[in-house]
Amino acid sequence: MAPIPASEKAPLGNVLVIGGCGFLGHHLVDLILESYKASVSVLDLYTTRNRRPDSDGVSYYNGDITDLSSILPVFEKTKPDVVIHTASPTAVDGAKALFKKVNVDGTKVVIEACQKSGVKALVYTSSASIISDSVNDLINADERWPVIPASAQSEYYSLTKAEAEAFVLAANRSPTCPKLLTCAIRPSGIFGPGDVQQTPGFLNAYYNGQTGFQLGSNDNLFDFTYVTNIAHAHLLAARALIYTSTLSHPLQDLEKVDGEAFLITNDSPVYFWDFARAIWKAAGNERGTEHVWVIGQSLGMGVATLLKWISWVTRKPARLTPLQVKYSCMTRYLDIGKAKKRLGYAPLVSLQDGIELAVKWAIDEKAGEGEKKSQ
Amino acid sequence: MGLLGNIAYFSIHPNQLRSILQWKLWHDPVHQRDPAKESDNLKECFKYLDLTSRSFSAVIQELNPELLVPVALFYLCLRALDTIEDDMTIPLEKKEPLLRNFQDVLTKDGWTFDGNGPNEKDRELCVHFDVVITELKTVKPAYFAIIKDITNKMGNGMADYANNAEHNIEGVKTIKDYELYCHYVAGLVGDGLTRLFVESGLANPALLKRPELSEAMGQFLQKTNIIRDVREDFDDKRSFYPKEIWSKHVDKFADLFDPKNLPAALACSSDMVLNALGHAEECLFYMAGIKDQSVFNFVAIPQSMAIATLELVFQNPNIFQKNVKITKGDACELMMQSSQNLRTVCEIFKRYIRRIHKKNTPKDPNFLQISIACGKVERFIESIYPTQDPKALALIHKGESSVKDSKTAAEEAEAKKDVFYLMFAVMGTLLVISALMIGTAWLAGARFDIAFNELRKGKFFPSQTPDGDAAQNIVNSQGHGEL
Repeated sequence: MAPIPASEKAPLGNVLVIGGCGFLGHHLVDLILESYKASVSVLDLYTTRNRRPDSDGVSYYNGDITDLSSILPVFEKTKPDVVIHTASPTAVDGAKALFKKVNVDGTKVVIEACQKSGVKALVYTSSASIISDSVNDLINADERWPVIPASAQSEYYSLTKAEAEAFVLAANRSPTCPKLLTCAIRPSGIFGPGDVQQTPGFLNAYYNGQTGFQLGSNDNLFDFTYVTNIAHAHLLAARALIYTSTLSHPLQDLEKVDGEAFLITNDSPVYFWDFARAIWKAAGNERGTEHVWVIGQSLGMGVATLLKWISWVTRKPARLTPLQVKYSCMTRYLDIGKAKKRLGYAPLVSLQDGIELAVKWAIDEKAGEGEKKSQ
Repeated sequence: MGLLGNIAYFSIHPNQLRSILQWKLWHDPVHQRDPAKESDNLKECFKYLDLTSRSFSAVIQELNPELLVPVALFYLCLRALDTIEDDMTIPLEKKEPLLRNFQDVLTKDGWTFDGNGPNEKDRELCVHFDVVITELKTVKPAYFAIIKDITNKMGNGMADYANNAEHNIEGVKTIKDYELYCHYVAGLVGDGLTRLFVESGLANPALLKRPELSEAMGQFLQKTNIIRDVREDFDDKRSFYPKEIWSKHVDKFADLFDPKNLPAALACSSDMVLNALGHAEECLFYMAGIKDQSVFNFVAIPQSMAIATLELVFQNPNIFQKNVKITKGDACELMMQSSQNLRTVCEIFKRYIRRIHKKNTPKDPNFLQISIACGKVERFIESIYPTQDPKALALIHKGESSVKDSKTAAEEAEAKKDVFYLMFAVMGTLLVISALMIGTAWLAGARFDIAFNELRKGKFFPSQTPDGDAAQNIVNSQGHGEL
């Protein structure tokens, strides 16, 4: 992307990015600096990693969102017009209690802080997983699809994201604080530089020589989304909320952004294993699919269940989990028409470019680790 | 293929025979041309229609009577134009004015043309073109105006193309040129036909407001033919693959036909397929605008053939060596399934899209792009005929699912349990048997520790010769002893 001249950058006022040193958060900070006129502050539990150089003028504050007294002073000091709340433990590494504490309780504290300090717009990073029960397919699903209730949601992470999203959307024009406008972004299959789940997961399979296995028929389309595109959607939403806050009347239902949730993808669903193969190819794999063994979903489930027992006995992590089997056999793609129409969203980075950037980063990172170890 | 050949072929491919028989036995056209009610002159026209195109002739003759004659004549006019354009024996200075003024010929009584080379396969049509002119007078003025307008545009487009010396020497240069050529020879046909359909009230007038849709119909057919005919065109010293695409894969166009460049040639043809696939969604969208069944069949059959051909040529090395064609059985099956409704045509598209996806390989430079293009077509079909209903899903979660649903859910749960117990039993049995065997071996004095050590040294097989001899000696000695 060519740099945007300062005169053409859209104004965003004072922006506070919560979780701004995290995976998505630091890409958000990058994109704001690149494309918007704004004064950026970051609030995170630790602010040592993913920091911009001091010359960029981003102010970093340590704070714990589960404690109002820890973050309210930051709000009072930075006086944000826009708050973007991306903080969350990653879906795989948290314990139940941590998910609940950060995602639900933490989000409630953030809402309270916004209400107490006159914030105009709050954009919350939700997740497309809140409409998936991890068992059934999502076929061209849009925002009309129901959020999965606790009784049917097997992933606790998704449940806490859903609960938090509900609180955020309920805070839109709430009677106690009608000035605060809110909305939620629900990304699907986030990947990119800094990603600790998808890209490294697929790359490990390549480095372990597992490219010869395919679970399921590979007719299942899946949405993967490059991180910068998700950041872009957040900022479009923030702009729309700020614009809405200047209007004397709320927007019509079909144009409304405040109080709404938006699914975000790269708008390019691909067959699940094709994405994996594109990653392997970007990492240097030159093989086709002649050597691939196709393992049916039920056999895959059987093997994964067996490995689960073995790993329980040997106390070593299993190479294949039932959840991985389910995901690699599941159809899961979304219709993002709502975000296109109401936010004017279109991906900035294509899937191909995204994969190349993500793989390059992951390889550099690995090389860096190797050097550190050898030193 | 002789009779014996046919018998041999169909005995190995009974499905092909089945499709052909089904089409012959059960195909019931919505309308059928009735030659008994036609003038001799019109019969002549249909004779040339049969001569110039077997596949189009059949679908045209099943068209709604309102459009039967206008579409047949429209086809003949464009075919005559094409025959002149195609003929490399006609010098350019003669060809150009012929092409540019062809729309005036349509009102010139008795006009014929015998300047085509003797090998031009449709030369007869030009020699007897006066029958077409006579018949055009009987066509409603509104239809005639459309035919004349498109003839004019196509003739001028072809003249521009023929006039461009570069095309004759180097072939088509850019993708833009390639698409412009497809526009002249096919996109315009789509435009003309759409205007005829709408004029006759057999298609939704909204189609006229979306000209890109009829354009896509023509582009998709033409591009598919160009990809398929690459060898034939090359032998005729022409090429329509744009340089912008082939030069990414080979240095000279002729290199595509050298078997030692096969990987590059396949990459080039998939690049072409990717380009053509981009029209598939708009083609399906267009077909949603057709109201009349016979018109629907008329537009849908060639499209289904095109997606099947695209699948056939994709990753197919044969296209660079010979003519490839979908089999007659497949063609009959496609005709059968596409002469129903948009849903069945969507199913055909989905079926062939999945086959293209299955043949797609990471070795292809456009691997991911092709995967995305296939996904887009699937998603578009899903948007017209959704599989999931959000309202029904919401009801399930509210616990208001119908008795039937909960019953099937219970059955599924039961089945899952069964599978689990079955797996458990199988694994359990295996474990017990293994334990028994290993245990017995251990009791009998098997030295697993030695075996393990050997394996860890990387010795997976006992060294054959000396040990083998030793064993043989033991067997021999013991044998003798016991005897």
